[in-house]
Formats: sequence, structure tokens, C-alpha cells
Amino acid sequence: MTRLGKLVLVLCLIMIINFIFTGCDRKEDVLNIYNWGDYIDPTVIKDFEDEYNIKVNYSTFATNEDMYVKLKSGAGNYDVAFPSDYMIERMIKEDMLYKLDKNNIPNLKNIDEKFINLSFDPENQYSVPYFWGTVGILYNRKVVKEKVDSWDILWDEKYKNEIVMLDSQRDSIGVALKKLGYSMNSRDINELRKAKEILIKQKPLVYTYVIDEVKDLMIAGEANLGVVWSGDATAAIRENENLEYVIPKEGSNIWFDNMVIPKSSKNKKKAELFIDFMCRPDIAARNTDYVGYSTPNNEAIEKLPEDIKNSKVAYPNEEDLERCEIFKDPSDFITKYDIIWTEIKAEY
Amino acid sequence: MKLKWTSYPYIVWMAIFIIIPLLLILFFSITSGDVFRLGEFQFTLDNFKRFMNPIYLKVLGRSITLALQSTAICFLLGYPMAMIISKAELKKRNAMILLFVVPMWMNFLLRTYAWLTLLGRNGLINYIIKSLGFEPLSLIYNNKAILLGMVYNFLPFMVLPIYSVLIKIDNSLIEAAEDLGASKLEVFTRIILPLSIPGIVSGFTMVFMPAVSTFVISSLLGGGKYMLIGNLVEQQFLWSGDWNFGSAISIVMMIFILISMAIMAKFDEDEKGGGLW
Amino acid sequence: MEKNIVIDLKNVYKKYDDVEVLKNINFYIRKNEFLTLLGPSGCGKTTILRIIGGFEQPTSGEIIFEGKNIINMPPYERPINTVFQKYALFPHMNVFDNIAFGLKIKKLPKKSIEEKVKNILKMVNLSGFENRSIESLSGGQQQRIAIARALVNEPKVLLLDEPLGALDLKLRKEMQMELKNMQKSLGITFIYVTHDQEEALTMSDTIVVMDSGEIQQIGTPVDIYNEPKNAFVAKFIGESNIIEGIIHEDFVVEFENIIFDCVDSGFEKKEEIDIVIRPEDLIIESFEGAKLKGKVISVTFKGVHYEMLIESDNFLWKVHSTTMAPVNSLVGLSVLPENIHVMKKVI
Repeated sequence: MTRLGKLVLVLCLIMIINFIFTGCDRKEDVLNIYNWGDYIDPTVIKDFEDEYNIKVNYSTFATNEDMYVKLKSGAGNYDVAFPSDYMIERMIKEDMLYKLDKNNIPNLKNIDEKFINLSFDPENQYSVPYFWGTVGILYNRKVVKEKVDSWDILWDEKYKNEIVMLDSQRDSIGVALKKLGYSMNSRDINELRKAKEILIKQKPLVYTYVIDEVKDLMIAGEANLGVVWSGDATAAIRENENLEYVIPKEGSNIWFDNMVIPKSSKNKKKAELFIDFMCRPDIAARNTDYVGYSTPNNEAIEKLPEDIKNSKVAYPNEEDLERCEIFKDPSDFITKYDIIWTEIKAEY
Repeated sequence: MKLKWTSYPYIVWMAIFIIIPLLLILFFSITSGDVFRLGEFQFTLDNFKRFMNPIYLKVLGRSITLALQSTAICFLLGYPMAMIISKAELKKRNAMILLFVVPMWMNFLLRTYAWLTLLGRNGLINYIIKSLGFEPLSLIYNNKAILLGMVYNFLPFMVLPIYSVLIKIDNSLIEAAEDLGASKLEVFTRIILPLSIPGIVSGFTMVFMPAVSTFVISSLLGGGKYMLIGNLVEQQFLWSGDWNFGSAISIVMMIFILISMAIMAKFDEDEKGGGLW
Repeated sequence: MEKNIVIDLKNVYKKYDDVEVLKNINFYIRKNEFLTLLGPSGCGKTTILRIIGGFEQPTSGEIIFEGKNIINMPPYERPINTVFQKYALFPHMNVFDNIAFGLKIKKLPKKSIEEKVKNILKMVNLSGFENRSIESLSGGQQQRIAIARALVNEPKVLLLDEPLGALDLKLRKEMQMELKNMQKSLGITFIYVTHDQEEALTMSDTIVVMDSGEIQQIGTPVDIYNEPKNAFVAKFIGESNIIEGIIHEDFVVEFENIIFDCVDSGFEKKEEIDIVIRPEDLIIESFEGAKLKGKVISVTFKGVHYEMLIESDNFLWKVHSTTMAPVNSLVGLSVLPENIHVMKKVI
């Protein structure tokens, strides 16, 4: 055989071996679940596996965009995924999701009405709410003695180097937009420019931009004012009782992570079974207790311990929620966001 | 080039893990549109044009400057260190080299995280400073912390090539120079320094390249306040989902690094460097 | 004390870890002398050279250079230059810069440096080599550049550490003559180290024979060759047959149970001694009537002479002769009295 021939043979062998092993996944009783990291109680998965005799392959992603690219490229046949609101909007637009057969998800009735029929998925044809939350200000009341009710406090010179912002384009730009009185989903280039300017002005006051470490920094007292997601706030307050969480009066972001079935799934019925399972009151309650975020499941809320049920952090008042917006899919506008965020981060 | 059958695994490895990914990045950089499902896409240079925006060039310039600064510091600290180690007796020498190499066995990310606990407001260093009665220092989430992290992580890459060249310098050359009347300083400037240039070039290259493309150090130790070119690329892939633009930036980086490598190679024409590339 | 002594080593002693490397080193070097330190590997000759050059320090003792003890003077202050064994030419400089190195350190004016380099290159027969790189030179050329680099500084003393070791035989012999001539014409004191006794005999005015860190004998080549003081020197210099014997009285010696006349005196009566006879001093005679008889064991043609090993009753004699006696033949051996050298036994 010629040298080239040998090379081709070796390459073919490798590809064949690869296919054989990926083919091994194609068993009947397997579900591929694709979720955020640290976002489910492992015992819940085990219970599902035991009850229905279905093996669960559980993998995680770090950002919505990451998950989107994976699903778009067709890598891995995920049966259930947990994207956020604006990403679901995009995926519906691009026809990447199956319509749900609600008959297979009877426990959907446990979900609170106000979380059904939201803008990103009218009539919930494609998704079922999993967890939700808000974005707000976490502060240490021993250090910040004044009343905290506005985003303005994060621009206060008094707290130079005590402030932590989220290292996330949309969340930080969104905070600035809200402070200026604009919509978090603004596509007005002038409004965005103004948001950019105040974020640049704020930069010298900011201790650091992080994503997951906000709660650690605030628990440890390294910073005393921070923008956090409500789930992190709950966890932080648990560790440090001097911390308090507030949704500013200008309004904030309310977000949803819902369960969807990507069109790459080959087990639609079993996927719906899983979604239904997660909506069971006892399962949802246990899961909520473990993960620490806010559940949309009314029956589950009943089963939660008193202090959590009544927590204004996890379950704020109606009036607070009314001031909050859901993110929309920026689609092609994302390049403008990118430039603006780069200009903010590169300014030093 | 005659190929033994035993080299086929390496060729296949190279093809799968190096050549094909490179081609993919190149492909992404010159296209836009629905590339994943090979749907509607077109070839375009728009991604590169977009990089020519002043803000992105500013980020590139900042990254290069910071990389040059950390390379310079590594050199100023590393050369004397290499000299000290090369002059020590054999047993001590190996122990000293080990001191440098052992931290490298640990994960790069963990080592960088470790600095957070040292430099933080309530970290170890400030704890000592406070217990001595002074005001705590702001040691982290600034430019200096990034420099510190880079120098700490990359210093061994400067020390080891210089050290390996220094010990190869025949002692008789130094004796000959002394014999001909050169003082210790003259021996250094006329003999040791010129002969160690291949090692210096190696060290420069091995520090500059990872320094210019780093994103972890600037993220963790800089508090996300200093966007470097590495962060920009990360941003495209993780947050903006714009793989085309991210690939274009990567190609620009690669070209840039290839150019600087070519310049370095001119200084070390005999390949006596002793570095990894 | 002789007026023209340039270096005087007094009681130089060196211990390295627990090993005594040099013991009791006392000798002097005269101006314009070609002195060779000769001995086997490890005898300490290079150590002495390095001590004179300043690259090593003795454990105790003095080095007097023109009246001053230079023990604590660093190498770059001593008016001494060295030609190293492996030449130690600077690889990153060309021929000109190598040779000019010492002159540039002394900050001599540019024109003067250029002229001196040109002249020294002429002296070593390498004119026009100024811009050549070191690696482009052959071994012999490198050697001459190394010598040029040292000599151009016009040192009072030149130290040479086995400089010809890496050259092939013919080149080595040529260089030996060239070095000797250079030394004579320049009038510089040469201190030369070698383990090649022929080289030492050819080039030197004075030879210092060393073994195991101690001086065995100091003398002119003729003296050392003809009158080796002990068995070591005899074995080391030239080829020799060394046999044990007894000196009955002055001028009468016995070995191989045969009495011979000799020319040595000053020993105790019936003292046990060593006797040295050079192979070329043994004469082959006919077997009948010879005092010393033996059988030829081997014959080797060496060009200049035949080398024959002849076995007598108690000894295997090495004989160099232009007369050939075939293997297994029986021959007689005789020797003139003046060629029988009696030496004190080494305890």
C-alpha cells in the first residue's frame, strides 16, 4: 500500500471507532440533559432514574451563548435544555425547539399564573418555567448606613472601592440604562451611549467585576455593595446576616430559566416526562431548597420552610416585580453591545 | 520526506488537533452567516475590518504594552537569578531549580487564585500589615496585580533558558578573559552577556507570547477592569456568540506572534536558545 | 640567589578536600627560560600552572614574582598570560577581536592595536585571518590564534597548558619547533606543561619531572635523560630497562648474577639499587662467550631501528638496534660501563 493509502486507512479507522462509540449513546432509555452548573439537586436526578428506569446523561454549560452554539451546531442530542428568557425567544425564532404536548405535562398546573404566557414564549408553547429571579443590590448594612433604594448608590464616591459589579454585558449595561430611566432592552444608540458614559465614570469606584464571586466577596467583607442575582443574595445572607437585598426603585431585571426540548432530541415523550417530573410539588420543593433560587411552582412554595417562603429576597412583592423587565433577544444588535462593553472595559 | 510507519500516529494527532482546528479558525474568520449548519454563509473580510475599530486596536496595544512590561520585569529579575543559580555548587543548584519548577506542577489557575487570598483586602498580606498597625493596602484588582501575576507565572520561563545557556558557557572562557586582564565586570559585559543572548531571546519569547494572549490573569487579578486581547476573544466566544469575529481576532494575534517570533529568530540564528519554541 | 630569577615557588602545598595534591613544591624559573613541567596525568603539573596563573590558590606557600609575593593577586593583575589546553577562544568574536581582547582591555589606541594584531598574525603565519570566525579555523590554526592572543600582550611569562595535545603528530612536531623559535626570538619566559616526554626533551631548557604532587627531578634534558634520579624518572623519560641489583663498591655493580663495571660511585657497600640501561645502549653480540645471554621473543620494525624483546634468565630486556636478530634466536647482550646508570631505590 502506498504511504498516502496507509494514512487514509488510519484516519478512516479513527473515524469509524469514533462513530461506533457515539452510536453507543443511541440506546432507548437515555435522556441527555443540558443545564447550568450547580443548578439541580443530584438526588432528584437519581429519583427520576430509579422511578422510570431511564439513564440521565447530565452535562452543564456556563453561558446561554455557549449553550446556543452547542445546540445550533448539532453536537450532542440534548433532550432537555434550560435556557434563559431571551435565548428562548431567539431559539423559537430560529425554529430550534419542539412544541410541547401539554397533555404529557399535567403538573404544569402547579406553576403560578403570573409566570405563564410571558413575552418570550406566548402561551408557553415551547417552555416550562424552572427557576426565576431578579437582579438587585446586595449591601452590608453595618457599612452602608443610609437607606438603599436606588441604583444611584453604586455611583456614590463615598463607597469607592467597595462596589462590585457583574462582569456581564447585558446585566451591567442594563443597570446603567435603568438608572438613567431607560428600558433595559433599549436599541437606541444614544441611550446606550449615555449608559456607556456613566459606566465609564463609575469605573474608578468599582472594586472588581466578577460573576460568581460576588457573594463570596460580600460574605467575606471584601466589598460592601454589589449587584447580584437574587439566588446568590439568598445564599450570601444566609452566611452573613449583615447583608441585605433590595430591588431599586428605578426597576431591575427579572429573569427566567425554563425547560425546553431542542429539536435535536430523539426522545420527546421521555423529555416531557422529565419536565413533568420536575414540576411535581415535592420534587420542585426539594430542588428549590437545594439550589436556593426562586421556584415558580406554587405547590412547591407551600412546602418550603417558613423563613424562605416569606423571604422578600426570594419572593418579592408584586409592586417590586412590576418595575422589572425581562431581557429581550438583542439579535444583531449584539455587536453594538460588544463594542460598548469593550469600550467600558478597555477604558483605563 | 521519508516517513516511518511509527510516525503515523503523530501525523494523525497533529492533523486532528492542530491542523484541522487551525483551518477551522481560518474558515470562521473569513466567513459570516449561518456557518454551523453550512446554511447561508458568505466569504467576507468584514470580521477583520471590524477589528480595525480604534477601540479594539487600543485593546491590542494595551495587551502588547503590558506584555512587554512583564517581559522586561521578568528579564530584570530573571537574569540575576539565573546567574546566581548557575554559580552555585551542583547540589544546591538542583535544589534551587526545583524551587522554581515545583510550583509549575500545580495548576496555573489555582496558582493565580492563590494570589487572591494573599493580596485581597482581608488577605494574608493586609492581615499582617493591619496587625502591625498600618492602613491596609490596595493590592488587588489593579494594573500592578496583573503585572505581579504575570511575572510570577512566567518568571520560570525566563530563568530556565538563561540558566541553561549560562551553565553551558565553558569556564575556561571566563578564565581566558581574566587571564587577558578583564575585571569581573568586563568579563560579564564582554563574554558572559554576549554568549547568553540566545538564552535571553528564548526567555523573551517564552514570556512574551503567553503574556500577550493571557485572559485569566487580567480577569482574576485585574478585577475584570483591564480588558486585554485575550479577554476580547473570550468575550466573543462565550458571551457574544460571535465566533467569526473571535476567530478573526485570533488570526490577527497569530500573525502578530509569528512576526515577533521571526524577529526573535534573527537574534538567535544558531538556535542555541534552549527554549521550547 | 641568581639575579635573573623571574618566578620563585616556595613551599607550595595544596590540599583539596582530603587529598594532598601538591607537596613541597620548591623551584624557580629564570628569565627567558623554556621550563617544562613534565609528568603523568594527575601529577599536579597543571595545578602548579594554574596557581602561577592565579586561577587556583595554594593551601600554603608563596609565589614570588620579581621579588613580590603575588599569591593574592587576581589573574587580571598578573603580567602573565596563558595558552589554554582547549584554546578557550571566544566563539562570539572573530580572530581580530579575540587577539585584540587583552589590548582593548588595556585601552590601547586603535591604530596601535591594529598594528600589533597584524604583526602577531604574521609571526604565527596567519596573516590576513583577521575577519575569520573561530569555528571556521582548523585545530592548528586555532592553536596559533590562541598563542597569538596571549603573546600580543607582551607578557613577562607565558603559561602553556598542553597546547599541542589536540593536534596530529606531524603538526605537533612542526608547532614544537615554531614555539621554540618564537620563545627564543621574543625572549619571553615560557612555562610549559606536558605529559609527552619527547616533547619536553625537544623544547625545554629545564625540565621539572613530577609525580603524585611531588617533584621527582629538575634538570636539563640531557641530565634527566642520562642521569635519572630514580626509577620513576627513568621509566618516564625515554625508554628504559630497569632492573634491581647490588652495588658492591664504587664502580662495581652486580645484576642478573653477573658483575659489571660501571661509572657510578657514592653508594653504600652492597647497597641494593636500581639500574637503568637504555634500550639503544644494549649491543647484540654472538651467543658464544657473551656475559649476558638471552632468547629473542619478539621483533618489531620501528623504521629507525628494530625493537626486540630478549628474555634472559631473570629479565625481559628491551633492545633497540639496527642489527636484527630473528625471533627464537639465541643472542648475547653487552653494554658499555658508562651506559649503566645506578639509581637510589625509591622507598
